Amino acid sequence: MSITINIWINEERYAKLQKAGLADMAEEVLAGLKVIKVPCTEEQKDKVLKVFPTAKYDSATTKSIELLPREVKDKIFDLVVEKQSIDIMDEFLKNY
Amino acid sequence: MTYIGHGGKEIVERVLEPEKAAEAIKGLTPVPIRGQIAREIIDIAYGFFTPLEGFMTRADVEGVCNEMKLANGILWPIPIVFDISTEEINEKGIKEGDKLLLTYQDKPMAILEVEEIFTYDKQEMALKVYGTTEDKHPGVARTYNYKDKFIGGKITLVNPPKINPPFDEFFFTPKQMRQKFAEKGWQRIVAHQTRNVPHTGHEWLMKGAWLSAHGELPVEKTVTGVLVNAIIGEKRKGDYIDEAIVLCHDVLRKAGYFREDVHMTSITLWDMRYAGPKEAVFHAILRSNLGLTHHMFGRDHAGVGTYYDPYDAHRIFDQFPEDALNIKPVRVLAWWYCPVCGEVTYSGLCGHKEQSQNFSGTLIRSIIQDGVKPPRLIFRPEVFDLIMECAEKYGFGSAFVTDKYLKERNPVFTLPDMKY
Repeated sequence: MSITINIWINEERYAKLQKAGLADMAEEVLAGLKVIKVPCTEEQKDKVLKVFPTAKYDSATTKSIELLPREVKDKIFDLVVEKQSIDIMDEFLKNY
Repeated sequence: MTYIGHGGKEIVERVLEPEKAAEAIKGLTPVPIRGQIAREIIDIAYGFFTPLEGFMTRADVEGVCNEMKLANGILWPIPIVFDISTEEINEKGIKEGDKLLLTYQDKPMAILEVEEIFTYDKQEMALKVYGTTEDKHPGVARTYNYKDKFIGGKITLVNPPKINPPFDEFFFTPKQMRQKFAEKGWQRIVAHQTRNVPHTGHEWLMKGAWLSAHGELPVEKTVTGVLVNAIIGEKRKGDYIDEAIVLCHDVLRKAGYFREDVHMTSITLWDMRYAGPKEAVFHAILRSNLGLTHHMFGRDHAGVGTYYDPYDAHRIFDQFPEDALNIKPVRVLAWWYCPVCGEVTYSGLCGHKEQSQNFSGTLIRSIIQDGVKPPRLIFRPEVFDLIMECAEKYGFGSAFVTDKYLKERNPVFTLPDMKY
């Protein structure tokens, strides 16, 4: 299982995805709730945890980086939409 | 009225009246205590830990570690100890037969009668109670952090705590709780242990447990209740804030997901040991002292990491006679969301395992952190809105414990000023 950052999709985010023709990028996980799973390499994960000290890596169950501040998730989401790709972590981490 | 608690022992409140208390503490050696000990003093003094009337002596600790029994033979799984350093003992000249004044928040709190001063191998204690000596286990780490000596002896509360809002309306002593149950006309009460804000998986666990507990009783009148008993104790960064846990459970009833006459929210002060099966037995004892008749145990009750099998906390109840406890375990599997059934359903009934979607605690926390409102099948909107409100009102903008919350939160209880 690869490491991911889960970006949960509310109506506002879904509208942006639809506008960019990216609605299919979101997968359904729980009773219709949608998520975009942004992949991270081991190195990217380490850097995220270093740059955002509140974040935690859940190695036991979901293999995802959690507890990232909401505004950071917003920035990651915006970059996904801008680049029309989920492989954006290198680009995102350039700023940190 | 006399109430009988765990082990067939009467629930005794060890609390001195104010005028007697001021006199009783004059001249006693003060010993400051930390939060865990203060919470356990409250538990002992009001009978939550019946039959304990104080901190354990060596014989009790030995019995608990080796046989899961107190020295008097009554079932008990976790040591309740008062630790102190040799330095402090020497510095204050503490000896057996003394009475100490335990202080908290710089105020007098309780008298400890020094019946015995003893040592105990902390590694052995950890291994016997938690089944491991790894300090990654939070219960083991807590054990290793104990100071090098222990004092066993009775305690008496001299300065009852003031429970602060919003917790004050949810704190009931065992005697008060039993009176509440009598007022409600509940004959059977099933406990839901929690440290989480409730998603619908939790809600259905409670509803399923209610049905199990109610069993053959008549249905014309409500005689069975669900008691949510939130554990309030030491917090760790990333935990849900206490206020959100308690208020969000309560809103399930206020918003009608439970009828007014079948559901009640309450708190107990306790620092989780994460002892898995042993803690399940401890929780059963605690709730039997509160007057409950049934206790729901789900998957991985009070577990941590991979130290325990997810159903060890069910199986442990087969290891001792049924009459060792005054409360019946209600053993349940998880509830999940099934897209085929189109509902939250019991995993022990639903035949669509491949398609099922689990309520992962981590995912739910992630959703809350993002502030994204989940479908009402997963999270009741009233609960979600209240989490966000609690984050603003109590959590300095976060539904989860942060450094700021740890430092600046309003304490769950305070000790009043006391002249002596």
